[in-house]
Amino acid sequence: MHLLREPLVLHGELEYGGHDRLGKRVEAPFREITTIGNGVVRVEREGRAAREISLDRVPALAALLGGFSALLGGDAATLASRYVLDVKLGADTWTLTLRPRDAELARHLREIVVDGRDREPACFALEETSGDASVLLLGELAAVPLAHPTRAQLTVLCRRVGS
Amino acid sequence: MSPLRRHALIVLSWILLGAAALAVRHDLVVTSDLRSFMPPARDADHQLVLDEIGNGPAAQLLLLAIDGAPPAELARLSAGLAAALATDARFARVLNGGDDSTAIDPNLLPYRYLLSPTLDTTRFDAAFLGAELKQREEDLAAPGVEAITDLIPRDPTLEVLKLAQRWQPAHPPARREGVWFSARGQALLLVQTRAAGFDPAAQAEAVEALRRHFAGLPEAGAARLTISGPGYFAVEVANTTRTEAERLSAIGILGFALLLLLAYRSPGVLAVVALPLAAGALGGLAAIVFAFGGVHGITLAFGFTLLGVAQEYPLRLFSHRRAGVTVAASTATVWPLLQLAIVSACIAYLALVASGVAGLQQLAVFTISGLLIAGAVTRWFLPVVVAPVFVDVTSSSWLERWRGVLARMPRPRWLPWLVLAGAAGAVWFAPAPVWQNDLAELAPVPAPQLQREGELRAALGAPDVRHLLVLQADSADGVLALSEKIAPEAEQWVSGGIVDDIELPSRYLPSLATQRARQEKLPDRAALNAALDAALADRDFQPGLFTPFVDDVEAARSLPLLTADGFVHSPFGARLQALLVQRGTRWYGLAAVSGVHDAQALVQRVRTAPLGGVRLLDLKAASEALVADYRERILLALGAALVLLAATVAIFFRDLHRAWRVVAPMSLATLAVLAVLRLCGVSLSLFHLVALTLAAGLGLHYALFFERPLADAAEARRTLHATLVCVASAVLVFGLLATSTLPVLRAIGVTVALGVAFHFCLSTQMAQRSRHAD
Repeated sequence: MHLLREPLVLHGELEYGGHDRLGKRVEAPFREITTIGNGVVRVEREGRAAREISLDRVPALAALLGGFSALLGGDAATLASRYVLDVKLGADTWTLTLRPRDAELARHLREIVVDGRDREPACFALEETSGDASVLLLGELAAVPLAHPTRAQLTVLCRRVGS
Repeated sequence: MSPLRRHALIVLSWILLGAAALAVRHDLVVTSDLRSFMPPARDADHQLVLDEIGNGPAAQLLLLAIDGAPPAELARLSAGLAAALATDARFARVLNGGDDSTAIDPNLLPYRYLLSPTLDTTRFDAAFLGAELKQREEDLAAPGVEAITDLIPRDPTLEVLKLAQRWQPAHPPARREGVWFSARGQALLLVQTRAAGFDPAAQAEAVEALRRHFAGLPEAGAARLTISGPGYFAVEVANTTRTEAERLSAIGILGFALLLLLAYRSPGVLAVVALPLAAGALGGLAAIVFAFGGVHGITLAFGFTLLGVAQEYPLRLFSHRRAGVTVAASTATVWPLLQLAIVSACIAYLALVASGVAGLQQLAVFTISGLLIAGAVTRWFLPVVVAPVFVDVTSSSWLERWRGVLARMPRPRWLPWLVLAGAAGAVWFAPAPVWQNDLAELAPVPAPQLQREGELRAALGAPDVRHLLVLQADSADGVLALSEKIAPEAEQWVSGGIVDDIELPSRYLPSLATQRARQEKLPDRAALNAALDAALADRDFQPGLFTPFVDDVEAARSLPLLTADGFVHSPFGARLQALLVQRGTRWYGLAAVSGVHDAQALVQRVRTAPLGGVRLLDLKAASEALVADYRERILLALGAALVLLAATVAIFFRDLHRAWRVVAPMSLATLAVLAVLRLCGVSLSLFHLVALTLAAGLGLHYALFFERPLADAAEARRTLHATLVCVASAVLVFGLLATSTLPVLRAIGVTVALGVAFHFCLSTQMAQRSRHAD
């Protein structure tokens, strides 16, 4: 169901801790730490009790994690086996689009778009099939204050990292 | 009659009995509904107590644990089992901790605003909605939220989830993998059966269905399902008792058959010896079906015990057969006395009919018809099919020696008085409590199972089976209003650590007044739209997304208030039904109490609560009081029975002295058994009383036959032979029961075996004539 008018913008960082371990820290607009490891997803949000879910119960997330491991681990072969890859290169920026091959994942997730510059990813966007999207702004962008950007504004921002 | 025709007749009679058994079995309803066993209710209050014993809101709950597989697997099994049970009509409700957005019937969805307490403390204004919508946005950024995304447009404040939460147990187990898990890593489920807790047949069906559903899950594999709870225990205990009783009876029957072969040296008697008892039992059951329709299991157990007397009838007939005399003629010589025994016993049991207790009346009808039919079969059918003897089985020399020993035995006049004084002293002074009123103690649940039950109950926060908070009012809504008034008190008891939770009926359905107050706080469409627009200013939700929400609030504003009848069809309707009941013209709320840490304090707090119409019901104490009441009536009835019996014997003899010689040893032996039981520290239960009555019935036979004036030593030998066979068989069969580890079987076994021995000894001492000897 398409709930949101504009993408949900989050500020924070991603942390890849080696095979099958991933951390996501959201600093704004709320504080939340998500850790994936040992087959368990743990979500800690300020003011609420921590939630733990087995990765098995969130197949979309498991597939996502697989993609991440491959992406951040530099395993192009695995990445290509799970996603249809599309890379656009700018002067010193790049945009990587991943479309899931896994049918179950594709049911919810249309594509993952990662924008970056040099070796640093800057924006990490999950585009859902419903039309909703969430964008995690990383690194320098995490500190940029934004008041309800539209999708177009976000795209511009992500592709012009640091310039 | 030719042997061939005799055999044919025997076979035919067994076939007829078998057919009759099938017919009776088809029509007989055996219940364990205490109402058909206990004295009738005096008033609505008493009725409620009767109804709730074994059938309270806690008694219908089964506690399940699944283990033996990795957690993710267990979680899938838990979800699979919950889904399977949800489609089975035997189960009213299944909780496994899983996300449940179907807490209320889809048709009742707009009612969530009247059912949820949200509006008690807030209004649907811009500030409240803004805060809620901000949280929803955050929710959307978290993984695994597919479950609530569909809910948001219609229910942005997630009232449905708040209700689902409110209707979960107060202290649910920890959730892992999205379902409940115990600290020991078992997946936990809580199931409410539709069947009453006291109905073992229906509970057995439910347990069977549970196992089948579990085994049918594709991933069941090596995982193990553990079931616990009162209904399950009722099934288990009944099974254990039946298995043990059947095992001991099988050995007993084998021993009895060997004894008969030894005593009569003819296999022919084996084919017919059980005919009178079988016919009597069937006749008794048929009479129950005819007169009452259903019977309580305990009444039936009592009835079969009392009917054991009839097993002596054919033995008397066999022992008194004489060479050269037809069986009909030899039977005629013992018949008057046997008839007296049967008639006097039947008259005595009439006292039970006058008790006014359904269970006792059924017992009387069963026993009286059984004894009459067994007597009739012995008198008029057995002589036709039993072969006459050519050599007296009683002519052996050892029997004559025994007769001589018994006849010459000293019979000091002081002996009975000494026994009387000793027995009375022992009964009076023995330290153990006289009565055991807890029926559950007689068929206890094995300790490991009980411990597991305690652990599961604590882990699931499931209600206590013993305590119940009873709210009383004139109407269902009155009970709900009272329930809301007591709720703050109950919260204090919980926060004070006295109990873990009190599940009040108003938790599920608020009173009409409360619903009306919430309804009046709901904004109209214009006001809500304005508040929503303001709340959405800072948010990124699609325009028009919340139209279903606005429609629902508008609908809720004009809904007719929800009554208990209307709530019944929602998924938690069955729970409310268990907590809100009508008896006569009164309505009762039955609040289940969980995790009682300080029963004393709870009793105190409920008593001093500043509200009328609320009290704490201790179901264990109530059931013990009922059993004590029942026992009083049994004792009274048995006392009257003894008087009737003595009067019948005296009238028959037209000789008080002879009647005394029959009734005195019987009464004294009964007292002596009581004395021994008391000295051994046994507290007496209903089963002891019934066993004492059976023993007294057997003792009546011994005394009657020993007292009989006899023509010659040969007849005395036959009497002694018959009595010895009777005593030996009773001691054998009941002595075996006495070896059981199950208290109920041991109670019957020990009491009857002891009783038979005492009755025999005292009869030889006090009833036997020695004039004709030597």
